[in-house]
Amino acid sequence: MEYLEIIVLVVSFLVLLIIGVPIAYSIGISVILTMLVSIAPEAAVTTLAQRIATGLDSFALLAIPFFVLAGQLMNRGGIAERLINFAKGLLGSLPGGLAYVNILASMLFGAISGSAAAAASAIGGIMNPRMVKEGYSKPFSASINITAATTGLIIPPSNILIVYSLASGGVSISALFLAGYIPGTLLGLSLMIVAGVVSYRKKYPVGERTPFKVVFKQFLDALPSLFLLVVVIGGIVAGIFTATEASAIAVLYTLILSMGVYKQVKVKDLPAILMSTVSMTAIIMLLIGTSMGMSWVMSYANIPQQVSASLLGLSDNIFVILIIINFILLFVGIFMDMTPAVLIFTPIFLPVVTAMGVDPVHFGIVMVLNLCIGLCTPPVGSVLFIGCSVAKISIAKVIKPLIPLFIVMMLVLVIVTYIPELSLWLPSLFGL
Amino acid sequence: MKLRSIIDKTLYWVLVSLMALMVINVLWQVASRFLLQSPSSFTDELSRFLLMWVGLLGAGYATGNKMHLAIDLLPNHLQGKTSGTRLNMLVNILVALFAILVLIWGGANLVYITLVLEQPSAALGIPLGYVYTVIPLSGVLTLYYSIHNLILEAKGQVVSTNDA
Repeated sequence: MEYLEIIVLVVSFLVLLIIGVPIAYSIGISVILTMLVSIAPEAAVTTLAQRIATGLDSFALLAIPFFVLAGQLMNRGGIAERLINFAKGLLGSLPGGLAYVNILASMLFGAISGSAAAAASAIGGIMNPRMVKEGYSKPFSASINITAATTGLIIPPSNILIVYSLASGGVSISALFLAGYIPGTLLGLSLMIVAGVVSYRKKYPVGERTPFKVVFKQFLDALPSLFLLVVVIGGIVAGIFTATEASAIAVLYTLILSMGVYKQVKVKDLPAILMSTVSMTAIIMLLIGTSMGMSWVMSYANIPQQVSASLLGLSDNIFVILIIINFILLFVGIFMDMTPAVLIFTPIFLPVVTAMGVDPVHFGIVMVLNLCIGLCTPPVGSVLFIGCSVAKISIAKVIKPLIPLFIVMMLVLVIVTYIPELSLWLPSLFGL
Repeated sequence: MKLRSIIDKTLYWVLVSLMALMVINVLWQVASRFLLQSPSSFTDELSRFLLMWVGLLGAGYATGNKMHLAIDLLPNHLQGKTSGTRLNMLVNILVALFAILVLIWGGANLVYITLVLEQPSAALGIPLGYVYTVIPLSGVLTLYYSIHNLILEAKGQVVSTNDA
């Protein structure tokens, strides 16, 4: 009986995805089909409707639209430009300088906006033309932009870590945010190493050294944007406000900065900015709602228990189990967007690894880092798509320069998976 | 055609207002906690309900404008062919079925049950059933949009994709 349900769930989901049904609806339809195997129709539809509603009824989730809105305001408010100038002043004079600038600016912007898509379009939109103008190849600069944009998902604040906190049943958001700093920075530095090697080999231009006075001026220019990170993360970690309250403060702050100080956003721009925030929020919310239905139906069909039994049947060694889970997630990430993947697979894998002594905070970082790789791979890589469309280049052309970057991302994943201290040391300093 | 643009515009301004209200509401919560030293009790609940409304009504809007994430390899491959049009029509039919069964039927049933049980919300005291009316409402919107897109598709008009 349970096997029938698993078959219905998996087969219908894959078929729906392949024929092009939006992912959120593919999840919802396959869930309802699975429920109909053994539940009366009226009870099934009502249960799913209820799962969707209660799945969204969460104060923690509110942080998502607010961080999205803050990102939108920054995107149009001239903040990306100032972060890039500052990064250029710092790193522009190194060999392959602009590649480093691209990565550092993505780390800063991605961190502040909490979204890889926003970083890919904001930073890519400015950096790609500049890099091409100075003689970098277009596929190379696009590939750097795409992979670097994902660092912002691990460096806090990060919307996906809020989603993980929800899916894991309440792992501390503050702890997750602090845990992201070292792995996210490590990822950024590793991408810089690849960029450096490629730039050295291809003899990409070395920029002029920026005088210290100018760098300092650029730093002062970028300071209000950087200070936002201090307010948001500082406030959350010190326990002054919750992640949701911090996200609302981020909105207020970016509103004042982009409208009052930089004066690049006008009152008449606000409805359009609010509406694009609503659209992005609604897309995520429907995914969350139907994914909540999916995790309900999976636990109804005992899928987590079966997966955990078969994983433990393969090995009782945590190293081996983590390798297997990482491989499964890499595979999942190729075909699935990050939000549903986190919502669906956290309830399946988290009990297995925590039973073997893995910290749920550490596992969250591993999971997100893993799925970052999938965001940059075809056929379903949202950051890959955005990065390519911003750079006006076909996906096929960026694959080659992406390969060394993928290898490095995998290496970082292995390091972060097997050295839990990288994730857990910072939270432990703050007693989290 | 005309009905569509009326619905689009109304929904646009409703969603923009709800989103603005959501921001103001949470800012008020922060302000009341820090400045007035007396945390307001209703803002937490109100903002959660607003999120549900924005999320679900917005999901209908996003369906109409084809913004939801999908794997479009096969549809792109078949673009311009009869089979491609049929595939897109099928996708719209499946979404419409989901709207009818889960959002409208299941949602209306959920509203009915919570109203009969007279379940009020914890802080605002409004019946939860009213809050849940957004589910069937979102279902009606999704149904309308998917049928409208289906008709456009059948007429050979390509529904443009709007990026968020």
